[in-house]
Amino acid sequence: MTQDLAGRAEAAAHPAPTADLTPRRFGVFGWLRWIWRQLTSMRTALVLLFLLALASIPGSVLPQQGIDPAAVSQYYAAHPALAPFLAKFSGFDVFGAPWFAAIYLLLFTSLAGCVLPRSYRLARSARQPPPKAPRYLGRLPQAVGFLTSGSPDRALAAAAGLLRRRRFRIRTGDGWVSAEKGYLHEVGNLLFHVALLGLLVSVALGGLFGYKANKLLVEGETFANTPVGLDAFHPGRLVSANDLQPFSITLRKFTARYIASGNQRGQPSWFGASIRYNSRYGGPQSGYDLRVNHPLSVDGAQVFLIGHGYAPVFKVTDSRGVVRFDQAVPFIPVEQSGLTSAGVVKVPDARPRQLGFAGVFLPTEIVVGGRLVSAFPAPDYPRVSLVSYAGNLGLDAGQPQSVYSLDTSRMRRLAVSPRPLAPGQSIDLPDGLGKLTFTGYRQWASLAITYDPGQLPALVSALTALAGLVLSFLVRRRRIFVRAGAAADADKAVPASGPADADKAVQASGAADAEADRQGTAVEVGGLTRSDAAGGFEIEFEELASEIMQEVRDGAAAAGQSGGEAATAVAKGE
Amino acid sequence: MPNTGLAQVSNVTLVLAIMLYAVAMLVYACDLAFGERRAATATPSGQRPERVEAVALVGAASGAEAAGRAFPADPGDPSELADLTSGRAAGGAAADDAAGGGNGRFRPGSAGLREPAVAGARRSPWPQGPWLRAAFLLTCAGLALHITAVTTRGLAEHRVPWGNMYEFIAAITCAAVLVLILGAVRFRAHYLGLFVLLPVVLALAVDIVVIYTPAGQLVPALQSYWIAIHVTAMIIAVGMYLFGAVVTVLYLLSARHERRVAAGREPEAAGVMARLPGADTLDRLAYRAILFAFPAWTFAVIAGAIWADHAWGRYWGWDPKETWSFITWLVYAAFLHARATAGWRGLRAAYIQLFGFACLMFNLVGVNLWISGLHSYAHVP
Repeated sequence: MTQDLAGRAEAAAHPAPTADLTPRRFGVFGWLRWIWRQLTSMRTALVLLFLLALASIPGSVLPQQGIDPAAVSQYYAAHPALAPFLAKFSGFDVFGAPWFAAIYLLLFTSLAGCVLPRSYRLARSARQPPPKAPRYLGRLPQAVGFLTSGSPDRALAAAAGLLRRRRFRIRTGDGWVSAEKGYLHEVGNLLFHVALLGLLVSVALGGLFGYKANKLLVEGETFANTPVGLDAFHPGRLVSANDLQPFSITLRKFTARYIASGNQRGQPSWFGASIRYNSRYGGPQSGYDLRVNHPLSVDGAQVFLIGHGYAPVFKVTDSRGVVRFDQAVPFIPVEQSGLTSAGVVKVPDARPRQLGFAGVFLPTEIVVGGRLVSAFPAPDYPRVSLVSYAGNLGLDAGQPQSVYSLDTSRMRRLAVSPRPLAPGQSIDLPDGLGKLTFTGYRQWASLAITYDPGQLPALVSALTALAGLVLSFLVRRRRIFVRAGAAADADKAVPASGPADADKAVQASGAADAEADRQGTAVEVGGLTRSDAAGGFEIEFEELASEIMQEVRDGAAAAGQSGGEAATAVAKGE
Repeated sequence: MPNTGLAQVSNVTLVLAIMLYAVAMLVYACDLAFGERRAATATPSGQRPERVEAVALVGAASGAEAAGRAFPADPGDPSELADLTSGRAAGGAAADDAAGGGNGRFRPGSAGLREPAVAGARRSPWPQGPWLRAAFLLTCAGLALHITAVTTRGLAEHRVPWGNMYEFIAAITCAAVLVLILGAVRFRAHYLGLFVLLPVVLALAVDIVVIYTPAGQLVPALQSYWIAIHVTAMIIAVGMYLFGAVVTVLYLLSARHERRVAAGREPEAAGVMARLPGADTLDRLAYRAILFAFPAWTFAVIAGAIWADHAWGRYWGWDPKETWSFITWLVYAAFLHARATAGWRGLRAAYIQLFGFACLMFNLVGVNLWISGLHSYAHVP
């Protein structure tokens, strides 16, 4: 993520020199290698990151089939010419589109191609000692120097001791100490990228072995977790009906509370579904309070409360006086502030003609400007307003029909005034076609059932990626070099900075100890970091260098007190 | 039921905070206009040496004594390091004279290298100069009021006060000012005051005037302790991203200024530019802001995914808000990679970062107002 990747980029920018510079024909292997180099280059990774971002945008702008199928249908209705064209390019299923997959698979290939060689390099460098100290530390980004009494060897030993205590890896040579630390930077960086691969695998795992399902359940009803018992079932590619966890759920009661006054009037404040479930068919039942943000876990699957509404109960008798329909019909909310809900009643068994009703349920009915609206989502003044039809419902035509819409193309609208019905009130249909009674209402809750075996691996991967990221940003890989030599030599030999001085320079190391004792020892400390993402190496270097100075001088002073000679020499020098 | 008295306190303190910020901006502007010039002339390299007195102190360095030390480099300011080096080279003879004492053999440090600085000898992180100090204090006072406003709002509502767009903007601007103060002290970047406060004051003004929402309860979907984790992390990340974007804009201006100077053309707004550090320093500072913001954002997205799994039964569902968080994450990841790619460092990386910030802002404003999804909690009237 940081400087190390620069290595990758530069490697790509300057490919390894080939022995012969005349153009050669690429063989198949050559082409493959070229393609691999291009794919794993930093520039390509950059472009792919951008492409992926760009490709995600239509997924947020266009309605998506997997998220909101109703919005997709609306889009088709609103843009009849454009929609099929967009659909051809997976515009309504962007995140499952082949071109979207192509981008992220290329990106992950590029990532793998970058991570593997770098892991190898890290493993190799972890076994190698730090490099030799450069000759002229003054040329490093960070360099300081100081004088001390005592011999160069003693100074170097003290410096090496300090650096070793600071858990640097140490390498020593003639007149120098080389130390390196911060391998965890690269470890973190690699961990982050490998964890992203893990995340991809986890997502794939969920897509293959997981499933999602929805069920709308009216109070008092029970459903079993089978493909037939569910309203919508989206299995993963490798999921069969037998893989569903065998539980069943009964909705006992749904409770919703709303804010009754103030500027937030009508906003829900609490939802809860009291359910009973058993984790095996015929097994013992347990109770649970299903709430938003409080899902139920059964047997690895999870059940969520995701929606609610009203289900008015209707009783329909036909012209022969036979009760042909007596059940609760879920109505779907069309607006949230008053929870006005729309729905249809289909009575295919009515004789002589099939009957159909379409209308709205108003939890708290009021009349505003001649229109019926609901003023509050709680059922304070519940009314149902229906339009009645008689004829052919079209259920036998073989076309699957939504239970929430009425096909009135072969039906006749009956001349009944659509006055709102209170619970217990009825409509008498004309021509003796029958009678509909609004007997009451219940509530329904919609449940989502999900099973995702990739969930835990995804969490672990994501947290590992985060840990790797933080590690690579906080830890810097740095090297500290120390050189020591007799002061007089060092003074004239080592250039301060600048190439002009360097030309005249002579190596400083290797001065005789006797000379050093007499004139003091010059110590240089240099440092550089290859990956200082978060910055602050300057501070660390400054502190470390001053500690080295302290350590070296303390050591020399201690030795001087016992030996005496060196200290005297330095005192004379001063 | 919300406590209306406390909610009223929150409203009033927020207005007072924005007023203090506005005054602080004015004083920061005065500092730019009348404050002490940090540099008389730009050096030929385009770097403006800061605080020449530090260099002078090197000359007083004497032998092996601990007293003789170079003033340490500004950790966030490599230009200053360069100044120290060049100052030392130029003042080398003077240093010799000062340290001479009859024996020319011992020079400051060894072989012309300066001695390491002993810890604690660093330059003060606090603002220097009356204007800057006043502006800094005003900003701190404004922040105290701002924090009071956010806290009392939370107390009034008996919940974390980030349940709608009004509260969210009040919180992210608070985070941005906090980042400004911490960043200014940590990196001695007090010159940023005016430039960070500008978007903060504008956002707060829009927040108060256009999208004010009275204190109230949360919808059931938001009633979870995850709001305290997910949204708080988002707020911190956005505050840092905002800081990074402001510094990047300054970087672009500064880089443009340096190009003009290098080309020998008359620089624009040279007075203000002279008060800013070099483009290189700004570039690093912006980079650091993103280095903190990016993991915070990553954490926030992960926390959001865990919450989504808890509330909606899936950890990722390409809800518009999620999609744009992902896009933002990708663009900032591209920025981090660009910083490490030859030929992409500098201007290009800066533009990528600003593009990332644009995506972030679209996620905050555009997705809230124009795209409906599961995250439609903004309640903008």
